[in-house]
Amino acid sequence: MAFELLRSGKHKTPLKPKPMEEMPHTQLGTDYKTWCDSHKGTHKWRNIRWPVLIFMNLLFVVSFVFDLAILEGSLSGSRLIGFYLMDPFNALQELAITSTTGYIVHLTMNFWIGLFTILIFWFLLGGRSYCSWMCPYHFLAELAEKLHNYLVKTKKIKEHAFHTGLRFVFWFGFIILALVTQQLVFENLNVVGIVSRAMIYGPGLLLFWVFGILLFEIVYSKRFWCRYVCPIGTTWSFVGKLSPLTIKFELDKCGYCRDCQIVCLVPHELWFVQRGKATQEVHYTGSDCTRCGLCIDTCAGNALSYTIKGWGTVL
Amino acid sequence: MAKKQIGRREFLISGGVAVGVLAATGVGVKYLDISHTGEQLRQDFLRPPGAINEVEFMYGCIKCGLCVQICPVQAIKLADIHEGLSYGTPYIDVREQPCDFSCDALQCVETCPTAVLNFEQFKEAGLKAIEKATEGKDLRTTDVNPFEVQKVAMKEAVLMGKASVNKNTCLAHQRKGFKGISRGTDFEGIYRAPDSKFAYATPLKDKEFDREICNLCVTECPIGETAIEFSPGRGSGKMRPRVLEGCTGCGVCVMVCPTDKPSIVVEPIKS
Repeated sequence: MAFELLRSGKHKTPLKPKPMEEMPHTQLGTDYKTWCDSHKGTHKWRNIRWPVLIFMNLLFVVSFVFDLAILEGSLSGSRLIGFYLMDPFNALQELAITSTTGYIVHLTMNFWIGLFTILIFWFLLGGRSYCSWMCPYHFLAELAEKLHNYLVKTKKIKEHAFHTGLRFVFWFGFIILALVTQQLVFENLNVVGIVSRAMIYGPGLLLFWVFGILLFEIVYSKRFWCRYVCPIGTTWSFVGKLSPLTIKFELDKCGYCRDCQIVCLVPHELWFVQRGKATQEVHYTGSDCTRCGLCIDTCAGNALSYTIKGWGTVL
Repeated sequence: MAKKQIGRREFLISGGVAVGVLAATGVGVKYLDISHTGEQLRQDFLRPPGAINEVEFMYGCIKCGLCVQICPVQAIKLADIHEGLSYGTPYIDVREQPCDFSCDALQCVETCPTAVLNFEQFKEAGLKAIEKATEGKDLRTTDVNPFEVQKVAMKEAVLMGKASVNKNTCLAHQRKGFKGISRGTDFEGIYRAPDSKFAYATPLKDKEFDREICNLCVTECPIGETAIEFSPGRGSGKMRPRVLEGCTGCGVCVMVCPTDKPSIVVEPIKS
């Protein structure tokens, strides 16, 4: 039973697509196009998520500026009311290096406490939910994405997509790089850390790197960093593999419009929304899903919702 | 969004490019590493107290900035890429704001989650000193305050660098005195002077000096007589500052030095 909950169901034979009389818009007696657009402009979850993201990042800034012991440090390592938290990819790189040099004896108890606390915390909240609810770069990239979408829509530029497996190449690559060079190489390129540090300790020249990546995302490939590079997101998706908090899809409410896939950062996680693809009446998104809630907002039939697996719908 | 299926071929191409980029990054980092060995630290920049050797420091430091946050005098800053240090690593620019030990317990070292600022040595030094001070004494009646003993022992165990005096510009070496505010009224640096009435650091610009022969570096030293002395030179007999074994390299002397370019500098310890 528990094992069944972990499987995506992609391996099974697809269910037959719903006939016209079972489609949600026919049951409501409306035109398909009107039905699809009925939730356009709804931003319920985004309007919760953005303030949370901004508030959390402001907590860092405020803690430093006014010397409060609320959330000190930066996103690569911090203390929440005295409790250590540690970025897991940094910790992984560090462990990789230490395993070959013996420095491991120096790692403090706070390091382990910080690592395990944050792993448990984000595991419960869905792993990659860190990206959409915490990461300041994600916020910038979301704004950049809007610009990118506009440029694509007006045919100024073309969309370029890559294979999502690229993230694993970068993930292993950066760990191997850390091992070979004996340095936390990724931290020098880490746009998340750079933005976080720039906000808290004041801007630096490395912000141009961040602007460069943002520009690349605007003019070439949508959400390039988040989708194909960021090893922090990949680490979180490993953590969220078995996470209970996820997004539930109910086939009977779906109208096959695929609006959710269009707004989604990781459309491959919503593979089951396409007509004739779903294999079960209920599907859950996988570990790459950032639990951002954009698909929930846009869904005309309320087929998508936050859920805690094995506990029924909570929200 | 008409997205075509991305197959294995595309993956192999982009994956190959990614591996290439990563390899280039690695070579770049290694090259910088080799070309910088021995001069990773600029002369006037120090690592915070308790920093382990630079090579291990580089991979241990996660650039979280907790040491920056906890320092009460804000001596520690994070390096930007143009400052000659690895990006995001902490440093102290002693001419602007040195570590004056006014936190009393080396808090930056204690807070470091990856122990690149290693607290063990200070813990040991503190415990040893307490043991020595209370040896053979009845703990119920003795007036030895173990916290004071520990505090002093811990700060004396710090070794960030070593100060050295530039004889050509030092006022004392030229038998000159100093009167007034050392670094001008705009200078922002703060410290807790040994004769200060306050428990916390106060601005240097608030203090007026009047010395027949300039000896600010000696009188303002937070470590005291084991670190620097004002003594007559062997040949000439003129009074001049002399750095001793106990110098921790905290850099307060560099900040208070009234000459345009500091006549006393701290050279970082390279291990």
